[in-house]
Amino acid sequence: MNDRLEDFSLSRTIKPKKTLQKVGIVGCGAMGQEISILISQSGIEVAFIDISQERIDEVFERMNRLLDERINKWGLTNNEKKLILSRIKGSTDYNAISDSDIVLETVNTKKKGTSLELRQQIFRNIEEVVSEETVIASNTATLMISEIASVLKHPERAIGLHFFGSVNRVKIIEMVRSVFTNDKTVELIQKFTMMIGRKLIHVNESSGNVSTRMLVPIINEACEILMEGVATVSDVDEIMKETAGLMKGPFEMADSIGLDKVLKWMENLYAEFGDQKYKPSPIIKRLVRANMMGRRTGEGFYKYTDGKKDVKGGSIHKLGRE
Amino acid sequence: MKIIVLNCGSSSIKYQLFEMPSQAVLAKGLVDKIGLKGSLIKHQRNDGVEVKLEGEILDHQSGIEYLLGVLVSEKYGSIKNVNEIDAVGHRVVHAGEKFGGSVAITPEVVSALEECIDLAPLHNPPNLEGIYSITRLLPHIPQVGVFDTAYHQTMPDYIYLYGIPYSLYDKYRIRRYGFHGSSHRYVSQRACEMLNVDINTQKIITCHLGNGASIAAIKNGQSIDTSMGMTPLEGLIMGTRCGDLDVGAVLHIANKEDIGLSTVNTLLNKHSGMLGISGISSDMRDIEKAAVEGNQRAKVALQMYRYRVIKYIGAYAAAMNGLDIIIFTGGIGENDYETRSEILDNLSFLGLEYDKDLNHGLRAKEVILSTDKSKVRVMVVPTNEELVIAKDTYDIVINN
Repeated sequence: MNDRLEDFSLSRTIKPKKTLQKVGIVGCGAMGQEISILISQSGIEVAFIDISQERIDEVFERMNRLLDERINKWGLTNNEKKLILSRIKGSTDYNAISDSDIVLETVNTKKKGTSLELRQQIFRNIEEVVSEETVIASNTATLMISEIASVLKHPERAIGLHFFGSVNRVKIIEMVRSVFTNDKTVELIQKFTMMIGRKLIHVNESSGNVSTRMLVPIINEACEILMEGVATVSDVDEIMKETAGLMKGPFEMADSIGLDKVLKWMENLYAEFGDQKYKPSPIIKRLVRANMMGRRTGEGFYKYTDGKKDVKGGSIHKLGRE
Repeated sequence: MKIIVLNCGSSSIKYQLFEMPSQAVLAKGLVDKIGLKGSLIKHQRNDGVEVKLEGEILDHQSGIEYLLGVLVSEKYGSIKNVNEIDAVGHRVVHAGEKFGGSVAITPEVVSALEECIDLAPLHNPPNLEGIYSITRLLPHIPQVGVFDTAYHQTMPDYIYLYGIPYSLYDKYRIRRYGFHGSSHRYVSQRACEMLNVDINTQKIITCHLGNGASIAAIKNGQSIDTSMGMTPLEGLIMGTRCGDLDVGAVLHIANKEDIGLSTVNTLLNKHSGMLGISGISSDMRDIEKAAVEGNQRAKVALQMYRYRVIKYIGAYAAAMNGLDIIIFTGGIGENDYETRSEILDNLSFLGLEYDKDLNHGLRAKEVILSTDKSKVRVMVVPTNEELVIAKDTYDIVINN
């Protein structure tokens, strides 16, 4: 029989303290992909669940591209890329995440209306396969974690964990405790965020947390300024970047996030607070209806060719078309 | 006296068990992939018995607990009980300006090393993990810290300061520190033993040419200059590090490529050097093979590598106003006879002559390459940093 490492522990009673070996991701859209890469990069295994094999192949293709972009921009080596991808597995079967220490839901539905029921169903599906120790987290920005977790048999293991794009650059994560969340869950999440090199900021449960609640009125106000003809898209962005010290102006931000997502945030916040400052701007609604979602679709407030941003011409009423 | 030497990296621990003062290595091994998938221990006893054990090793402390377990095991061990271990010597990368030599580890020393984490954020934390773990597991056993930077603490201020506002040195200790100290010290002392000369009268240049590479000017037994600086990035062109580079070029690159500080760090530490220039590999053997096959970038990479070494040797000979001994060590210095000969052929102005036939094909042996007529002695001395750590640990424990 082969020798086992455990038999050689000095005390013969080494009980490895429980650590984090694997994280499950459910719904591997743009955000889920970036989060998977970040987690794998920290030496933790990742299993993600998506709806079809075709979709899984797409996810790997996109992760490959993301990592290649980082190599081309000198931020990563080929060997590091291989290591990162070797720790990520994709599956359509929830059983692939059954042995995870944490499962993070990062679903990004394109359907209209709230994704509450979908996220609740995902939480139920996760709970069916994982152990009682597993922490179940949601990356939701505007829904209440207490409401999502209320469908669980053990809601005390649920927590809100809101990552920001671009995940590789932003060093903070918003953590939201639900009314049920216990200290053990928080401790594991603290350890996890330390392992992936991120700072955890604890915010109390409130739709939009801090980040989304601040961003939405800025984007809405920028749209107001645009519609009043006060300044152009690029001028608003330039002024805000220079004067407020932002890395991106409000329109650049909106295009990067995706206007459909921004619209959903606005709708959720407006439904929650009923405050006009969150009411979706008509121009965002029109752009979304025209499938001009921003960077992802190649057109939003700006036009994008091979990732390069161009100013759109024409009148605002024609969505920047001549 | 039985001494364990530990070299704790971010996800690995290299270890050797020495019998001192005889310097016999009783066992050695590697704990690898700590905290990652596929963790393992590779262990080798001096009678040739080898074992590879795979399992879950979550942190440095359990890695050390397992390696101690293997060392005392009936099947693969070299000792019966951990009480037979008399001391533990640790390699620690950065000691800042705190220590000019190896020291016994005390709580004050640990605090001082914790303060140096800023200067070596990747290397010092795992080194400290090794110290914390031994303190917890074997609290009564003396420990000694041997520092990469300590040997170069003899550099005078006009050599270690950078040409930047002095206030930055005052505030953050921004200065040149140098690395590979144990290696430069070991090979210079060993060379003098072999030549039977007094190190306190010699002007020596030690070339540690490995994947990381540095050169030191050692005058009268003291390092007076070395090519690495505040970090290991400065100096020679290395496997994936750029070595000396105009900071203005870095600013320009960051601006043009629209990249931030952490990416610049990866660019200069991991994408540059021989790998970046050749586009082939960071391994000298691959580049030499490609150069023979006519690859132009491989050829220029080799020329650049060797030229930079020659330039430093010339500069250090001038800095010491003379030169008695040149020593080659490290993977490339010990094995790559073509690189050695390319370098040595350019140093005839020093009155240096060497035996080309003896050099050809020579790998990893202690050899004097220079001829009797040569004004400068040329030697190959394989480095042994673990032995330096074991010796220092022995000396400090005996004297305490």
